[in-house]
Amino acid sequence: MSDSEEHHFESKADAGASKTYPQQAGTVRKNGYIVIKGRACKVVEVSTSKTGKHGHAKCHFVGIDIFNGKKYDDIVPSSHNCDIPHVNRTDYQLIDISEDGFVSLLSENGNTKDDLRLPTDDNLLTQIKDGFAEGKDLVVTVMSAMGEEQICALKDIGPK
Amino acid sequence: MQGFPDRGGTPDLAQLQSTMHAIELACTSIQMHMNPAAAEATILSLSQSRQPYQACKFILENSQVANARFQAASAIRDAAIREWGYLTSDDKINLISFCLGFVMQHANSPEGYVQAKVSSVAAQLLKRGWLDFTTAEKEAFFNQVNQAVSGIHGVDVQYTGINFLESLVSEFSLSTSSAMGLPREFHEECRKSLEMNYLKTFYCWARDAALSVTNRITESDSAIPEVKACTAALRLMVQILNWDFVCNSSGGATSTSIFQVGGRQASDSPKRSECNLVQPGPAWRDILVTSGHIGWLLNLYSALRQKFSCEGYWLDCPIAVSARKLIVQFCSLTGTIFPSDNAQMHEHHLLQLLSGIIQWIDPPDAVSKAIESGKSESEMLDGCRTLLSIATVATPSIFDQLLKSIRPFGTLTLLSTLMGEVVKILMTNNSEEEAWSWEARDILLDAWTALLVPLDRNGGNELLLPEGKNAAANLFALIVEAELKAAAASAFKDDADSDYLQASISAMDERLSSYALIGRAAIDATIPLLSRLFSERFTRLNQGRGIVDLTETLEELYSLLLITGHVIADEGEGETPLVPNAVQTHFSYVVEADKHPVIILFSSIIRFSEQSLDPEMRQSVFSPRLMESIIWFLARWSCTYLMPPEENRDMNSRKVLLGFFGQHNQGKPVLDIIVRISLTALVSYPGEKDLQALTCFQLLHTLVRQKHICLHIVALDSWHDLANAFANEKSLLLLNTAHQRSLAQTLVRSASGIRNSESANQYVRDLMGHMARYLVELSSKSDFKVVAQRPDIILSVSCLLERLRGASSASEPRTQKAIYELGFSVMNPVLVLLEVYKHESAVIYLLLKFVVAWVDGQISYLEAQETAVVVNFCMSLLQLYSSHNIGKISLSLSSSLLSEAKTEKYKDLRALLQLLSNLCSKDLVDFSSESIDTQGTNISQVVYFGLHIVTPLISLDLLKYPKLCYDYFSLLSHMLEVYPETVAQLDSESFCRVVASLDFGLHHQDTEIIDMCLRSLRALASYHYGETRAGKAGLGSHATGVTDPSGNLQEGIFSRFLHSLLQLLLFEDYSPDLVSSAADALLPLMLCEQGVYQRLANELIERQSIPALKSRLVNALQSLTGTNQLSTTLDRKNYQIFRKNLNKFLIDVRGFLRTM
Repeated sequence: MSDSEEHHFESKADAGASKTYPQQAGTVRKNGYIVIKGRACKVVEVSTSKTGKHGHAKCHFVGIDIFNGKKYDDIVPSSHNCDIPHVNRTDYQLIDISEDGFVSLLSENGNTKDDLRLPTDDNLLTQIKDGFAEGKDLVVTVMSAMGEEQICALKDIGPK
Repeated sequence: MQGFPDRGGTPDLAQLQSTMHAIELACTSIQMHMNPAAAEATILSLSQSRQPYQACKFILENSQVANARFQAASAIRDAAIREWGYLTSDDKINLISFCLGFVMQHANSPEGYVQAKVSSVAAQLLKRGWLDFTTAEKEAFFNQVNQAVSGIHGVDVQYTGINFLESLVSEFSLSTSSAMGLPREFHEECRKSLEMNYLKTFYCWARDAALSVTNRITESDSAIPEVKACTAALRLMVQILNWDFVCNSSGGATSTSIFQVGGRQASDSPKRSECNLVQPGPAWRDILVTSGHIGWLLNLYSALRQKFSCEGYWLDCPIAVSARKLIVQFCSLTGTIFPSDNAQMHEHHLLQLLSGIIQWIDPPDAVSKAIESGKSESEMLDGCRTLLSIATVATPSIFDQLLKSIRPFGTLTLLSTLMGEVVKILMTNNSEEEAWSWEARDILLDAWTALLVPLDRNGGNELLLPEGKNAAANLFALIVEAELKAAAASAFKDDADSDYLQASISAMDERLSSYALIGRAAIDATIPLLSRLFSERFTRLNQGRGIVDLTETLEELYSLLLITGHVIADEGEGETPLVPNAVQTHFSYVVEADKHPVIILFSSIIRFSEQSLDPEMRQSVFSPRLMESIIWFLARWSCTYLMPPEENRDMNSRKVLLGFFGQHNQGKPVLDIIVRISLTALVSYPGEKDLQALTCFQLLHTLVRQKHICLHIVALDSWHDLANAFANEKSLLLLNTAHQRSLAQTLVRSASGIRNSESANQYVRDLMGHMARYLVELSSKSDFKVVAQRPDIILSVSCLLERLRGASSASEPRTQKAIYELGFSVMNPVLVLLEVYKHESAVIYLLLKFVVAWVDGQISYLEAQETAVVVNFCMSLLQLYSSHNIGKISLSLSSSLLSEAKTEKYKDLRALLQLLSNLCSKDLVDFSSESIDTQGTNISQVVYFGLHIVTPLISLDLLKYPKLCYDYFSLLSHMLEVYPETVAQLDSESFCRVVASLDFGLHHQDTEIIDMCLRSLRALASYHYGETRAGKAGLGSHATGVTDPSGNLQEGIFSRFLHSLLQLLLFEDYSPDLVSSAADALLPLMLCEQGVYQRLANELIERQSIPALKSRLVNALQSLTGTNQLSTTLDRKNYQIFRKNLNKFLIDVRGFLRTM
């Protein structure tokens, strides 16, 4: 709508190239994303306070690393910018789970992807393996941000 | 665990002893935490076995383990309440006299808790049989108690007797009674009977008991055993006066009395301290008022006061505490106990009490000094409470007069100086939490509130006399001084608490409104005082700007604005508050606006606020926090004073005051200033969320709420600037999205001020069209899928959705057309966004909420064809959402991320249910010109279909969210109740879901959910019964049961629920409130499935092995369906009969059916 946004939109030639985008801290909401200490996090808590009673507002963020689940927090003046990660999620069909801990995935446009490791966490691993072993047709969602990727959800679309 | 043997014959000694040992062992092992589950089961099996009384008595009399005795008493209670229906009346009386005899015999036992338990068991059993026992039987018990209480068996027995009465009274009082599985009416009747026949007698016994030991107490110099009995008697008297008396209406018209009866306890008065009125009615006059009883009590306390230096007595010793409590209670005495033609009697009564307690609080400075140097504060606090009580029952002038006969000043002056002392203490040690001065301040503030809160809406509060006004003015000045001092002192404290502003405003709100009452009582002095304080600080700011640190002054101004806001205007809470009476009626001598003190005050604050528009001033003076208070003040002020509706203004001064800011005077320029200040607050304070929240939610909302202000606001250039900035400038896109939503709502709502409907619609199109077009363009870009995940795109999509939602929620008939077009144009983009952002739950939620708001605002206006379009859109939305989410499992290492994901699901589903409810409302409210059937839309089918899509997404886990559960069941039960015929057309899969949901809901712990399920069952069964009687199919195969694909016979819905409902009613725990709705469901179920009912009834009878009980059960079942001319119709009368029958049935049989 505004000029500057149109501009952003048109210049998407290198979309996806940028890992993070600046955004005013005051506009970051709970359930959004933020980069804290170099990690892509989901914001689970935002609170504002002031620097001294008559000072300016600052935001206190509590974020959880979307890949490793660790908790981080950060304080940023409300009117300053902070980095927002570009989080992408793509659905693939799960074709195979190989012995060495990799999965083969089939993308929507028919390409295969074989470079993704299975999670190392036992619990997650069993959830994926069990579903696959039962012969269900599984779609996995792969989340990627700031050069990392991981399976973040799976969905059963019926028996094969 | 085996149960204990039934009383089939007399158990021998060995058996009793082994039971006792088992219980003792269980009690000890519980205490030592050894296998507590098994131990509890042992104890439970005692109380659940049949007629365990002999064993229990044996334990009580013989066991050396106190806990075992306690458990035995408790088992007697449980078993007797359960089996009450078929105990012989001898058994009942024996049990009660055993318990009573036991406590009397063991009156000197050191294990007080066993005594208290047995005593309360006796009380509960006596109550259980209250309506059956003859008067003679009751008298026999009470004779025994009376003897004990009178003291002829010694002090210990006396004490025990009083304690028994205490538990009896508390058992009969509704708020403290224990559950007995009986309907409320039973408790109500017992209460009434006790109040009519015994309560006064008990009071006299307690009084006589106390009287009989008074002399011995006053004469001795150390604590003696009688003190204990006397304390108990005083406590019992307090308790009896606390009784919620109802039989006091015989006094006739009380309105003629100059004292108010209950009027002071208006629910809207802010009350922190308890002050219950005591209104026992004229029958109590002789005992409480005219008998000299109070004189005795005051003498007793002053005798105790002399003894506080003696051993065994101190200010907080139990007897002193109880005596003071009773004195406070007496101050709250009011109502018809005082004859309406004899005002002196009440006045005399209060005066007597006040003279008795005056030394607790007077002279205030000496009292507070003594407390500060270590004296206990409780006496002083009780003194404050007496003032509160008197203030509650007396008018301000009577209150003030009381003291004048014994002191040279009035009671108001005392109240003012006393509170002044408290405020001074607070000023000096502000840091200390939970100090006595806080409590004293709150009680005294309540006393002021009780005196000053206007009694009726016309503000008909009598004015204080000059002395009282002076007292109020002095106190208010002191309070303001203290608040300002506290503000200045806290100015540099770091604001660690994030919700500080909201919390502090709402926590301070109550206190400030009490301050405001005091300020208004002396408004002549208050307004000039506030003006002076403001102008001092304005000057300080102007002089010190850029030279000295102004933080303290800023904080003082913040505080002053809050106080002033409360003094000059009331909280609107969505209504338009009137100008406070004090402000309206005073200053009547002023006829020129520029000399009116109130106008001077307002003008100076507005002029000051206007300076925030100047960037340089803003930079140096207007901190975000100061702006917050200014915005808050302006919002509160505009509600009351800005362009008030023009009525007949009779009084000159009112005319001057109200006219000054009216539409034809300064109203418009001031409105313009306020709009410009708002824009500044939104644009020039980036990231200040609190400030922006106040501006959006309070100030701007207030402005557009009234139509006549909208008329002027849409004509202002500043308003167009705001609209333009909103539609076209980037700066407002940086606001929090919720604030953008609110702003959209406000701007659209202001269209109600545009006189012509076409221009109103055009205004909305100009404001919002741009954003809709942007969404359409964005979603149709070929590479949208690629860029959609970029944070900047996500942010702008979120903002737009929130703005659309805000605009939709401001939908009014006048702008409905434009908003329909707006939503219609983004239908496709919305579905695209739903697909693209399926993994971005934050966006999905905003999207759903927009659709919910849009449908909610539009649905009742839509024509048939439009409705069909909207319905189709909603169904596509539901299906798409479902296809993305069904069977999806989130994987994450972090449990909090997983639970966040669950919460997001929950919120989405709630929104979807809301959407369905909104669609549902089309059938209730419809303004369209033709029926929607013309387009083949059937709302009930649509909603059932929607439920069919949504239900599989709602997992049992998600139903643990109470709101979701509630929404789901209220929608479901609404559908089943209103459209039972559509149920017949459901396919078996959907139908099974409905049945499973009802089954789940029926076993939910929330009464409301169960109630909704019962209502649904009633609706379904009565529909089916009616239809089949008329020879139609009703629910058809759903009712008869079907064979499912795997060959199992599925039971029909009614036989299934008949079974589970009976099971619930007879064997499970539920709230007695449910019995009526259960009866309403059970009757049609039984009529639908009479065969099944007979079979179940027979099974029930078969299972009962004891012949006596079997025949009871048979009789009870017979009278359930056979008495009171129950017929097989489903009319109102028949339902009522069945409710009565079922209630009786359950009381008769539940007791033994539930026995192990």
